Amino acid sequence: MSVPGKGVLRSVKNYAKGYSDMQIKVREATSNDPWGPSGTIMNEIAQATFNNNDFTEIMDMIDKRLNDKGKNWRHVFKSLTLLDYCLHVGSENVVSYAKENMYVVKTLKEFQHIDDNGKDVGANVRQKAKDITNLLSDEVRLRDERNQRAQMRDRMAGVENI
Amino acid sequence: MSYLSSDKAEAELAQSIKKATSPDETAPKQKHIRRCIVYTWDHHSSALIWSGLKVQPILADEVQTFKALIMVHKILKDGHPVVLKDGLRETAWIETCARSVAGDGSRGYGSLIRNYVELLLHKLNYHRQHPEFNGTFEYEEYISLKNIDDPNEGYETISDLMSLQDRIDQFQKRVFAHFRPSSNNECRIAALVPLVEESYGIYKFITSMLRAMHRRTDAVDALSELRARYNSQHYALLRFYYECSNLRYLTSLISVPKLPQDPPSLIDSDTPSLP
Repeated sequence: MSVPGKGVLRSVKNYAKGYSDMQIKVREATSNDPWGPSGTIMNEIAQATFNNNDFTEIMDMIDKRLNDKGKNWRHVFKSLTLLDYCLHVGSENVVSYAKENMYVVKTLKEFQHIDDNGKDVGANVRQKAKDITNLLSDEVRLRDERNQRAQMRDRMAGVENI
Repeated sequence: MSYLSSDKAEAELAQSIKKATSPDETAPKQKHIRRCIVYTWDHHSSALIWSGLKVQPILADEVQTFKALIMVHKILKDGHPVVLKDGLRETAWIETCARSVAGDGSRGYGSLIRNYVELLLHKLNYHRQHPEFNGTFEYEEYISLKNIDDPNEGYETISDLMSLQDRIDQFQKRVFAHFRPSSNNECRIAALVPLVEESYGIYKFITSMLRAMHRRTDAVDALSELRARYNSQHYALLRFYYECSNLRYLTSLISVPKLPQDPPSLIDSDTPSLP
Protein backbone atom coordinates (compact mmCIF):
# COMPACT_ATOMS: atom_id res chain seq x y z
CA MET A 1 0.00 0.00 0.00
CA SER A 2 1.27 3.44 -0.81
CA VAL A 3 2.00 5.92 1.91
CA PRO A 4 -0.97 8.26 1.28
CA GLY A 5 -3.25 5.23 1.47
CA LYS A 6 -1.93 4.46 4.89
CA GLY A 7 -2.61 7.99 6.02
CA VAL A 8 -6.24 7.60 5.03
CA LEU A 9 -6.48 4.29 6.84
CA ARG A 10 -5.04 5.87 9.96
CA SER A 11 -7.64 8.64 9.98
CA VAL A 12 -10.38 6.05 9.52
CA LYS A 13 -8.99 4.13 12.49
CA ASN A 14 -8.78 7.29 14.55
CA TYR A 15 -12.43 7.89 13.87
CA ALA A 16 -13.56 4.29 14.37
CA LYS A 17 -11.80 3.89 17.69
CA GLY A 18 -12.98 7.25 18.93
CA TYR A 19 -9.57 8.59 19.86
CA SER A 20 -9.35 12.08 21.29
CA ASP A 21 -7.56 14.88 19.43
CA MET A 22 -4.52 14.54 21.63
CA GLN A 23 -4.33 10.79 21.13
CA ILE A 24 -4.62 11.28 17.40
CA LYS A 25 -1.73 13.70 17.57
CA VAL A 26 0.42 11.17 19.40
CA ARG A 27 -0.53 8.46 16.92
CA GLU A 28 0.40 10.82 14.11
CA ALA A 29 3.79 11.58 15.70
CA THR A 30 4.59 7.90 16.27
CA SER A 31 3.22 6.49 13.03
CA ASN A 32 4.82 3.99 10.71
CA ASP A 33 5.78 6.68 8.17
CA PRO A 34 9.46 6.40 7.41
CA TRP A 35 10.36 9.87 8.63
CA GLY A 36 10.80 11.21 12.13
CA PRO A 37 8.12 13.06 14.08
CA SER A 38 8.27 16.77 13.27
CA GLY A 39 9.51 19.24 15.86
CA THR A 40 6.25 21.14 15.73
CA ILE A 41 4.11 18.17 16.62
CA MET A 42 6.47 16.99 19.36
CA ASN A 43 6.44 20.47 20.82
CA GLU A 44 2.66 20.59 20.81
CA ILE A 45 2.47 17.28 22.58
CA ALA A 46 5.13 18.23 25.11
CA GLN A 47 3.26 21.44 25.94
CA ALA A 48 0.06 19.49 26.34
CA THR A 49 1.63 17.36 29.10
CA PHE A 50 1.18 20.39 31.39
CA ASN A 51 -2.53 19.75 31.17
CA ASN A 52 -3.39 16.84 33.47
CA ASN A 53 -6.14 15.49 31.31
CA ASP A 54 -4.05 15.47 28.16
CA PHE A 55 -1.11 14.11 30.09
CA THR A 56 -2.88 10.85 30.88
CA GLU A 57 -4.04 10.44 27.31
CA ILE A 58 -0.58 11.10 25.93
CA MET A 59 1.18 8.69 28.26
CA ASP A 60 -1.48 6.10 27.67
CA MET A 61 -0.88 6.22 23.93
CA ILE A 62 2.91 6.34 24.22
CA ASP A 63 2.73 3.28 26.44
CA LYS A 64 0.63 1.44 23.86
CA ARG A 65 3.08 2.32 21.12
CA LEU A 66 6.07 1.30 23.21
CA ASN A 67 4.63 -2.15 23.66
CA ASP A 68 4.00 -2.64 19.97
CA LYS A 69 5.36 -5.63 18.09
CA GLY A 70 8.62 -5.92 16.19
CA LYS A 71 7.08 -5.33 12.76
CA ASN A 72 5.98 -1.91 14.02
CA TRP A 73 9.44 -1.04 15.30
CA ARG A 74 8.95 2.50 14.03
CA HIS A 75 6.12 2.96 16.52
CA VAL A 76 8.46 1.91 19.29
CA PHE A 77 11.36 3.98 18.05
CA LYS A 78 9.33 7.13 17.52
CA SER A 79 7.59 6.79 20.88
CA LEU A 80 11.01 6.68 22.46
CA THR A 81 11.97 9.80 20.52
CA LEU A 82 8.80 11.51 21.63
CA LEU A 83 9.28 10.41 25.23
CA ASP A 84 12.84 11.70 25.17
CA TYR A 85 11.60 15.05 23.90
CA CYS A 86 8.86 15.27 26.53
CA LEU A 87 11.37 14.39 29.24
CA HIS A 88 13.34 17.46 28.21
CA VAL A 89 10.63 20.04 27.73
CA GLY A 90 7.42 18.45 29.01
CA SER A 91 5.96 18.75 32.48
CA GLU A 92 7.51 17.35 35.62
CA ASN A 93 4.83 14.66 35.55
CA VAL A 94 6.47 13.11 32.52
CA VAL A 95 9.70 12.68 34.48
CA SER A 96 8.08 11.05 37.47
CA TYR A 97 5.90 8.87 35.27
CA ALA A 98 8.88 7.71 33.22
CA LYS A 99 10.89 6.96 36.34
CA GLU A 100 8.12 4.95 37.87
CA ASN A 101 7.64 2.95 34.68
CA MET A 102 11.30 2.76 33.77
CA TYR A 103 11.08 -0.99 33.24
CA VAL A 104 9.03 -0.45 30.10
CA VAL A 105 11.95 1.38 28.49
CA LYS A 106 14.64 -0.67 30.20
CA THR A 107 13.32 -3.93 28.80
CA LEU A 108 13.50 -2.48 25.31
CA LYS A 109 17.28 -2.57 25.52
CA GLU A 110 17.10 -6.05 24.02
CA PHE A 111 14.49 -5.26 21.38
CA GLN A 112 14.99 -7.33 18.25
CA HIS A 113 13.66 -7.03 14.77
CA ILE A 114 15.12 -7.90 11.41
CA ASP A 115 13.14 -6.37 8.54
CA ASP A 116 12.28 -8.05 5.24
CA ASN A 117 15.56 -6.95 3.71
CA GLY A 118 17.51 -8.62 6.50
CA LYS A 119 18.46 -5.30 8.04
CA ASP A 120 18.70 -5.14 11.82
CA VAL A 121 16.36 -2.27 12.59
CA GLY A 122 16.18 -3.19 16.26
CA ALA A 123 19.57 -1.55 16.86
CA ASN A 124 17.97 1.92 16.68
CA VAL A 125 15.46 1.01 19.33
CA ARG A 126 18.08 -0.60 21.57
CA GLN A 127 20.32 2.45 21.41
CA LYS A 128 17.50 4.87 22.11
CA ALA A 129 16.26 2.75 25.02
CA LYS A 130 19.76 2.71 26.45
CA ASP A 131 20.08 6.50 26.12
CA ILE A 132 16.79 7.15 27.87
CA THR A 133 17.54 4.69 30.68
CA ASN A 134 20.88 6.40 31.26
CA LEU A 135 19.24 9.81 31.26
CA LEU A 136 16.58 8.69 33.73
CA SER A 137 19.08 7.23 36.13
CA ASP A 138 21.27 10.34 36.07
CA GLU A 139 19.27 12.87 38.05
CA VAL A 140 21.89 15.64 37.75
CA ARG A 141 22.13 15.40 33.98
CA LEU A 142 18.36 15.29 33.58
CA ARG A 143 17.95 18.46 35.71
CA ASP A 144 20.72 20.14 33.75
CA GLU A 145 19.27 19.35 30.38
CA ARG A 146 15.78 20.38 31.43
CA ASN A 147 17.08 23.69 32.75
CA GLN A 148 19.03 24.36 29.60
CA ARG A 149 15.96 23.79 27.46
CA ALA A 150 13.86 26.01 29.68
CA GLN A 151 16.42 28.82 29.47
CA MET A 152 16.64 28.52 25.73
CA ARG A 153 12.86 28.69 25.51
CA ASP A 154 12.83 31.87 27.63
CA ARG A 155 15.43 33.50 25.43
CA MET A 156 13.50 32.63 22.29
CA ALA A 157 10.29 33.95 23.81
CA GLY A 158 12.11 37.21 24.52
CA VAL A 159 13.07 37.55 20.87
CA GLU A 160 9.52 37.00 19.75
CA ASN A 161 8.22 39.79 21.97
CA ILE A 162 10.51 42.43 20.47
CA MET B 1 0.12 0.76 34.33
CA SER B 2 -2.11 -1.75 32.75
CA TYR B 3 -4.87 -1.09 30.29
CA LEU B 4 -6.12 -4.58 29.86
CA SER B 5 -8.66 -6.32 31.99
CA SER B 6 -6.94 -8.87 34.19
CA ASP B 7 -8.44 -11.82 32.27
CA LYS B 8 -6.97 -10.60 29.03
CA ALA B 9 -3.63 -9.85 30.65
CA GLU B 10 -3.52 -13.38 32.03
CA ALA B 11 -4.35 -14.93 28.69
CA GLU B 12 -1.63 -12.89 27.02
CA LEU B 13 0.85 -13.84 29.71
CA ALA B 14 0.09 -17.53 29.23
CA GLN B 15 0.67 -17.07 25.49
CA SER B 16 4.01 -15.37 26.10
CA ILE B 17 5.20 -18.10 28.44
CA LYS B 18 4.22 -20.75 25.95
CA LYS B 19 5.96 -19.02 23.07
CA ALA B 20 9.11 -18.24 25.05
CA THR B 21 9.51 -21.91 25.94
CA SER B 22 8.59 -23.44 22.60
CA PRO B 23 10.30 -26.69 21.58
CA ASP B 24 12.23 -25.12 18.64
CA GLU B 25 15.94 -25.05 19.19
CA THR B 26 16.25 -21.27 18.92
CA ALA B 27 16.80 -18.46 21.35
CA PRO B 28 13.68 -17.65 23.39
CA LYS B 29 12.34 -14.49 21.80
CA GLN B 30 12.97 -11.37 23.81
CA LYS B 31 9.54 -9.96 23.06
CA HIS B 32 7.87 -12.82 24.94
CA ILE B 33 10.26 -12.61 27.84
CA ARG B 34 9.85 -8.85 27.90
CA ARG B 35 6.12 -9.24 28.21
CA CYS B 36 6.64 -11.45 31.28
CA ILE B 37 9.05 -8.96 32.84
CA VAL B 38 6.68 -6.06 32.22
CA TYR B 39 3.87 -8.14 33.71
CA THR B 40 5.76 -8.56 36.99
CA TRP B 41 6.14 -4.77 37.25
CA ASP B 42 2.56 -4.06 36.28
CA HIS B 43 1.06 -6.52 38.71
CA HIS B 44 3.78 -6.76 41.37
CA SER B 45 3.56 -10.49 41.23
CA SER B 46 5.11 -13.41 39.42
CA ALA B 47 2.89 -16.19 40.78
CA LEU B 48 1.15 -16.64 37.43
CA ILE B 49 4.44 -16.99 35.59
CA TRP B 50 5.57 -19.86 37.81
CA SER B 51 2.23 -21.61 37.57
CA GLY B 52 2.28 -20.97 33.82
CA LEU B 53 5.68 -22.60 33.55
CA LYS B 54 4.41 -25.62 35.43
CA VAL B 55 1.41 -26.26 33.21
CA GLN B 56 3.55 -26.26 30.08
CA PRO B 57 4.98 -29.68 29.21
CA ILE B 58 8.44 -28.22 29.68
CA LEU B 59 10.20 -31.02 31.49
CA ALA B 60 9.56 -33.53 28.72
CA ASP B 61 11.88 -31.72 26.32
CA GLU B 62 15.42 -30.64 27.09
CA VAL B 63 15.36 -27.61 24.80
CA GLN B 64 12.17 -26.39 26.44
CA THR B 65 13.65 -26.91 29.88
CA PHE B 66 16.74 -24.97 28.94
CA LYS B 67 14.71 -22.12 27.49
CA ALA B 68 12.56 -22.04 30.61
CA LEU B 69 15.70 -21.65 32.71
CA ILE B 70 16.89 -18.75 30.56
CA MET B 71 13.52 -17.15 31.04
CA VAL B 72 13.60 -17.71 34.80
CA HIS B 73 17.05 -16.14 34.95
CA LYS B 74 15.88 -13.09 33.03
CA ILE B 75 12.78 -12.45 35.08
CA LEU B 76 14.77 -12.86 38.30
CA LYS B 77 17.23 -10.33 36.99
CA ASP B 78 15.04 -7.67 35.42
CA GLY B 79 11.64 -8.27 36.96
CA HIS B 80 10.06 -6.59 39.96
CA PRO B 81 11.89 -7.37 43.24
CA VAL B 82 8.98 -9.57 44.25
CA VAL B 83 10.13 -12.12 41.66
CA LEU B 84 13.19 -12.89 43.78
CA LYS B 85 10.97 -13.61 46.77
CA ASP B 86 8.67 -15.79 44.69
CA GLY B 87 11.68 -17.53 43.18
CA LEU B 88 12.90 -18.54 46.61
CA ARG B 89 9.65 -20.39 47.10
CA GLU B 90 10.00 -22.15 43.76
CA THR B 91 13.39 -23.74 44.29
CA ALA B 92 11.81 -27.19 44.41
CA TRP B 93 10.49 -26.77 40.89
CA ILE B 94 13.83 -25.48 39.66
CA GLU B 95 15.45 -28.56 41.15
CA THR B 96 13.10 -30.86 39.30
CA CYS B 97 14.32 -29.29 36.05
CA ALA B 98 17.77 -30.68 36.83
CA ARG B 99 16.38 -34.17 37.31
CA SER B 100 14.32 -34.15 34.13
CA VAL B 101 17.12 -35.11 31.72
CA ALA B 102 19.13 -38.27 32.02
CA GLY B 103 22.83 -38.03 31.17
CA ASP B 104 23.62 -35.57 28.46
CA GLY B 105 20.24 -35.86 26.77
CA SER B 106 19.72 -36.53 23.09
CA ARG B 107 20.59 -32.99 22.07
CA GLY B 108 23.33 -32.39 24.61
CA TYR B 109 21.56 -30.06 27.01
CA GLY B 110 21.65 -32.38 30.02
CA SER B 111 24.70 -31.11 31.81
CA LEU B 112 23.98 -27.52 30.76
CA ILE B 113 20.59 -27.74 32.42
CA ARG B 114 22.01 -29.20 35.62
CA ASN B 115 24.65 -26.49 35.75
CA TYR B 116 22.18 -23.75 35.05
CA VAL B 117 19.98 -25.01 37.87
CA GLU B 118 22.95 -24.99 40.22
CA LEU B 119 23.78 -21.42 39.25
CA LEU B 120 20.21 -20.23 39.68
CA LEU B 121 19.90 -21.87 43.09
CA HIS B 122 23.18 -20.32 44.13
CA LYS B 123 21.96 -16.92 42.95
CA LEU B 124 18.67 -17.29 44.81
CA ASN B 125 20.50 -18.36 47.92
CA TYR B 126 22.65 -15.27 47.67
CA HIS B 127 19.57 -13.11 47.52
CA ARG B 128 18.14 -14.93 50.51
CA GLN B 129 21.20 -14.01 52.54
CA HIS B 130 21.51 -10.50 51.17
CA PRO B 131 17.95 -9.33 50.64
CA GLU B 132 19.09 -5.73 50.19
CA PHE B 133 20.24 -6.48 46.63
CA ASN B 134 18.10 -6.15 43.55
CA GLY B 135 18.39 -8.61 40.70
CA THR B 136 20.86 -6.56 38.67
CA PHE B 137 23.23 -5.68 41.53
CA GLU B 138 23.13 -1.92 41.30
CA TYR B 139 25.61 -0.33 43.64
CA GLU B 140 23.89 3.03 44.07
CA GLU B 141 20.67 1.52 45.31
CA TYR B 142 22.50 -0.76 47.69
CA ILE B 143 24.44 2.11 49.19
CA SER B 144 21.39 4.28 49.61
CA LEU B 145 19.71 1.42 51.44
CA LYS B 146 22.55 0.38 53.60
CA ASN B 147 25.48 2.18 55.11
CA ILE B 148 28.51 0.00 54.94
CA ASP B 149 29.88 1.04 58.26
CA ASP B 150 30.68 -2.47 59.32
CA PRO B 151 33.76 -3.63 57.42
CA ASN B 152 33.20 -7.24 58.46
CA GLU B 153 29.82 -7.27 56.86
CA GLY B 154 31.18 -5.62 53.73
CA TYR B 155 33.91 -8.22 53.56
CA GLU B 156 31.38 -11.01 53.71
CA THR B 157 29.13 -9.44 51.09
CA ILE B 158 32.00 -9.14 48.65
CA SER B 159 33.36 -12.57 49.33
CA ASP B 160 29.93 -14.15 48.77
CA LEU B 161 29.46 -12.10 45.63
CA MET B 162 32.81 -13.32 44.33
CA SER B 163 31.69 -16.91 44.81
CA LEU B 164 28.64 -16.16 42.70
CA GLN B 165 30.91 -14.61 40.07
CA ASP B 166 33.01 -17.80 40.06
CA ARG B 167 29.86 -19.85 39.47
CA ILE B 168 28.92 -17.69 36.52
CA ASP B 169 32.40 -18.16 35.13
CA GLN B 170 32.18 -21.94 35.48
CA PHE B 171 28.83 -22.03 33.77
CA GLN B 172 29.84 -19.83 30.84
CA LYS B 173 32.85 -22.07 30.22
CA ARG B 174 30.55 -25.04 30.10
CA VAL B 175 28.25 -23.29 27.64
CA PHE B 176 31.20 -22.60 25.36
CA ALA B 177 32.39 -26.19 25.71
CA HIS B 178 29.00 -27.44 24.57
CA PHE B 179 28.87 -25.52 21.30
CA ARG B 180 28.22 -27.79 18.37
CA PRO B 181 29.85 -27.10 15.05
CA SER B 182 26.82 -28.39 13.18
CA SER B 183 24.34 -25.84 14.52
CA ASN B 184 24.23 -22.08 14.93
CA ASN B 185 24.15 -22.57 18.72
CA GLU B 186 21.65 -19.74 19.04
CA CYS B 187 19.82 -21.39 21.91
CA ARG B 188 23.03 -21.88 23.87
CA ILE B 189 24.29 -18.38 23.12
CA ALA B 190 21.00 -16.97 24.39
CA ALA B 191 21.98 -18.19 27.86
CA LEU B 192 25.17 -16.14 27.67
CA VAL B 193 23.25 -12.86 27.32
CA PRO B 194 22.03 -12.65 30.94
CA LEU B 195 25.39 -14.02 32.08
CA VAL B 196 27.30 -11.16 30.46
CA GLU B 197 24.95 -8.58 31.94
CA GLU B 198 24.93 -10.09 35.38
CA SER B 199 28.66 -10.68 35.60
CA TYR B 200 29.28 -7.08 34.59
CA GLY B 201 26.81 -5.83 37.20
CA ILE B 202 28.61 -7.86 39.85
CA TYR B 203 31.99 -6.70 38.61
CA LYS B 204 30.98 -3.06 38.80
CA PHE B 205 29.52 -3.58 42.23
CA ILE B 206 32.61 -5.28 43.60
CA THR B 207 34.84 -2.59 42.13
CA SER B 208 32.89 0.25 43.73
CA MET B 209 32.50 -1.55 47.02
CA LEU B 210 36.16 -2.52 47.28
CA ARG B 211 37.19 1.04 46.50
CA ALA B 212 34.90 2.37 49.18
CA MET B 213 36.29 -0.11 51.68
CA HIS B 214 39.87 0.79 50.82
CA ARG B 215 39.05 4.43 51.45
CA ARG B 216 37.36 3.73 54.72
CA THR B 217 39.53 1.24 56.51
CA ASP B 218 43.24 1.44 57.01
CA ALA B 219 43.43 -2.31 56.83
CA VAL B 220 44.92 -2.54 53.37
CA ASP B 221 46.57 -5.79 54.44
CA ALA B 222 43.33 -7.33 55.62
CA LEU B 223 41.86 -6.81 52.16
CA SER B 224 44.80 -8.32 50.31
CA GLU B 225 43.02 -11.63 49.87
CA LEU B 226 40.02 -9.93 48.25
CA ARG B 227 42.35 -7.92 46.03
CA ALA B 228 44.04 -11.06 44.78
CA ARG B 229 40.69 -12.64 44.05
CA TYR B 230 39.47 -9.48 42.36
CA ASN B 231 42.47 -9.46 40.06
CA SER B 232 42.06 -13.06 39.00
CA GLN B 233 38.35 -12.51 38.38
CA HIS B 234 39.21 -9.50 36.26
CA TYR B 235 41.31 -11.65 33.93
CA ALA B 236 38.65 -14.35 33.81
CA LEU B 237 36.02 -11.79 32.82
CA LEU B 238 38.32 -10.26 30.26
CA ARG B 239 38.64 -13.66 28.60
CA PHE B 240 34.92 -14.32 28.83
CA TYR B 241 34.01 -10.99 27.20
CA TYR B 242 36.65 -11.48 24.54
CA GLU B 243 35.17 -14.82 23.58
CA CYS B 244 31.67 -13.34 23.59
CA SER B 245 32.71 -10.50 21.33
CA ASN B 246 33.44 -13.09 18.64
CA LEU B 247 29.88 -14.35 18.63
CA ARG B 248 28.05 -12.35 16.00
CA TYR B 249 24.64 -13.32 17.28
CA LEU B 250 25.43 -12.15 20.79
CA THR B 251 27.02 -8.85 19.84
CA SER B 252 23.99 -8.06 17.71
CA LEU B 253 21.85 -8.21 20.85
CA ILE B 254 23.90 -6.54 23.54
CA SER B 255 27.13 -4.63 23.59
CA VAL B 256 29.75 -6.66 25.39
CA PRO B 257 31.58 -4.55 27.98
CA LYS B 258 35.22 -3.73 27.30
CA LEU B 259 37.48 -4.14 30.30
CA PRO B 260 40.97 -2.65 30.50
CA GLN B 261 43.79 -5.11 29.98
CA ASP B 262 44.86 -4.85 33.62
CA PRO B 263 42.61 -4.68 36.66
CA PRO B 264 41.94 -1.07 37.73
CA SER B 265 43.58 0.17 40.88
CA LEU B 266 41.40 -0.11 43.96
CA ILE B 267 43.48 2.16 46.14
CA ASP B 268 44.22 5.08 43.85
CA SER B 269 41.07 7.17 43.89
CA ASP B 270 42.05 9.02 40.73
CA THR B 271 41.19 6.12 38.49
CA PRO B 272 38.02 6.89 36.60
CA SER B 273 34.93 4.97 37.57
CA LEU B 274 33.49 2.39 35.22
CA PRO B 275 30.94 3.32 32.58
